[in-house]
Amino acid sequence: MEYIIHLAILFVLYAILGVSLNLVVGYTGLLSVTHAAFYGIGAYATALLSTLFEVPFLISVLIGIVVAGFFSFLMGMVLSRFRGDYYALASLGFNVIMYSIFLNWASVTRGPLGIAGIAKPEIGGVLFSSNLLFLLLAAICLVGIYGISRFMVSSSFGRVLKAIREDETVITIFGYRTLDYKLVVFVISASMAAVAGSLFASYISFIDPSTFTVMESIFILAIIILGGLANIKGSMVGALFLILVPELLRFVGLPNDIAGYMRQFLYGIILIVLMLYRPQGLIGEYKL
Amino acid sequence: MNIIPQLIINSIIAGAIYSLVALGFNLIYGATKFFNLAHGVMATVGGYAVFVLSKVLGFHIGVSVILGVLCAGFVGYGLDKIVYLPLRKKRASNMILLVASLGVFTALEAIIAILFTSQFRTLAQHIGTQRIYEVGSAIITQTQVIILIASLVLMAILGFVLKKTMFGKAVKAVSDDEEVAKIIGINTNKIIGYVFFIGSAIAGLAGILIGFDTGIEPVMGLRLLLKGVIASIIGGVGNIYGGVAGSFLLGLVENFGIWKISAEWKDAIAFVVLIIFLLFRPKGIFQK
Repeated sequence: MEYIIHLAILFVLYAILGVSLNLVVGYTGLLSVTHAAFYGIGAYATALLSTLFEVPFLISVLIGIVVAGFFSFLMGMVLSRFRGDYYALASLGFNVIMYSIFLNWASVTRGPLGIAGIAKPEIGGVLFSSNLLFLLLAAICLVGIYGISRFMVSSSFGRVLKAIREDETVITIFGYRTLDYKLVVFVISASMAAVAGSLFASYISFIDPSTFTVMESIFILAIIILGGLANIKGSMVGALFLILVPELLRFVGLPNDIAGYMRQFLYGIILIVLMLYRPQGLIGEYKL
Repeated sequence: MNIIPQLIINSIIAGAIYSLVALGFNLIYGATKFFNLAHGVMATVGGYAVFVLSKVLGFHIGVSVILGVLCAGFVGYGLDKIVYLPLRKKRASNMILLVASLGVFTALEAIIAILFTSQFRTLAQHIGTQRIYEVGSAIITQTQVIILIASLVLMAILGFVLKKTMFGKAVKAVSDDEEVAKIIGINTNKIIGYVFFIGSAIAGLAGILIGFDTGIEPVMGLRLLLKGVIASIIGGVGNIYGGVAGSFLLGLVENFGIWKISAEWKDAIAFVVLIIFLLFRPKGIFQK
């Protein structure tokens, strides 16, 4: 039972990451490979604030959102000028820089040692110490983010995003400042990823830089491409699938380190097969 | 002690390695017009092929290197036939090709890590007995001299082949306009297959040389790829001579950068260079 709850929490975290990334990749058509960087910023914000200053969870989440928002604003200022493969490459570059900061700014992040002893969230006197309660908290966050995303994509804002995806030149001619739209959706998506990061840090209670690599960004990308681009439900399906399948490998009895690479192998193969036979994913609306 | 001569030598050696990666990357980009993110893994494949041949099977080192280079070439060729060619036939967008290559990279890196563990290994035969040459106040090892000579010879040969032979002209025709090349009777898919073979083989050689100089590990591919890509962008993507110039420039910036900042920030420095170039000189220093 504990194990199933653990899986459910992982699913919720990756669903948050997937749904938020889908806003940028699926709806706006910008292939961002830097989501793990914002996931990491949220995680480090909560980890540092909770271990050093004993800041309450909710406030650390808010600060994480602000910091991720700030960084994504700076990155977005640069990224919004690009499209297509250059966007993918430059965003990947930002992930490498951010990872490098987590790893090498040792006086703050403790480098490869990571940060241990992160407190469980406590909100309004309720300590979310049991995994079941934590799942509830995470699920509430997911529902909130799902709702916000749903609202965004069905609003006029969302329609402009889709128009940018289909033909940026035309929508510019209609007088929309596409750079601003691209920037705004990027910042929102990054802030949502930071929430997932805060949850992750307080759930696992230990973080180190190795969670926030380019590879992690590729995993999140695999989730949304599998589920389907420009489909929020699809991202949830993708997250469910890609969390559960690697777990099956555990039952085959592979040693832990090999199981990790099997998971990576599987994600790679899924990406290749999808591109070859079903580039729009399971229930996607948009093809790269 | 004057450190500058040593920094210059280190920059040149780094530049030589990067230019090998950039050469193949640019050749492939020129012919197919997509960012082949799996290109760096070819270096890993080459390195590990030599590791198996010389250390496990006990082949002569020269034979192992030749077979290792061929092995990387064949893997690249095979990937083109299995993954990229079918995608090109479907007229997939270059974003789909990019994501597919991301999948190839993810999966191959995982396979190598499963087969050989993530341990760092060296290809050098007798550790610590290499000859060392002194150039003024700087030193250079025998392996590094070989790296320099090998890459210069290779660049010269490749330059000759591309300029003077029918094959080189065909590659140029495909790079300029694949449709027209097809119309005048060039078997473009065959040419692109060869380009994948040559490009991957050169990347394989880069991996092998690194293996002799420092060592190989499964994750080396991404870093090498990124350096090769950054060098290509500095020099102008698709321009193979520009890529070589970009490689040496990147080598210089990196090595002089860590003169004042500590060495862990090398990757971050490289990406800062990339982003500066993307912003101010997106077509490279030799803008056409």
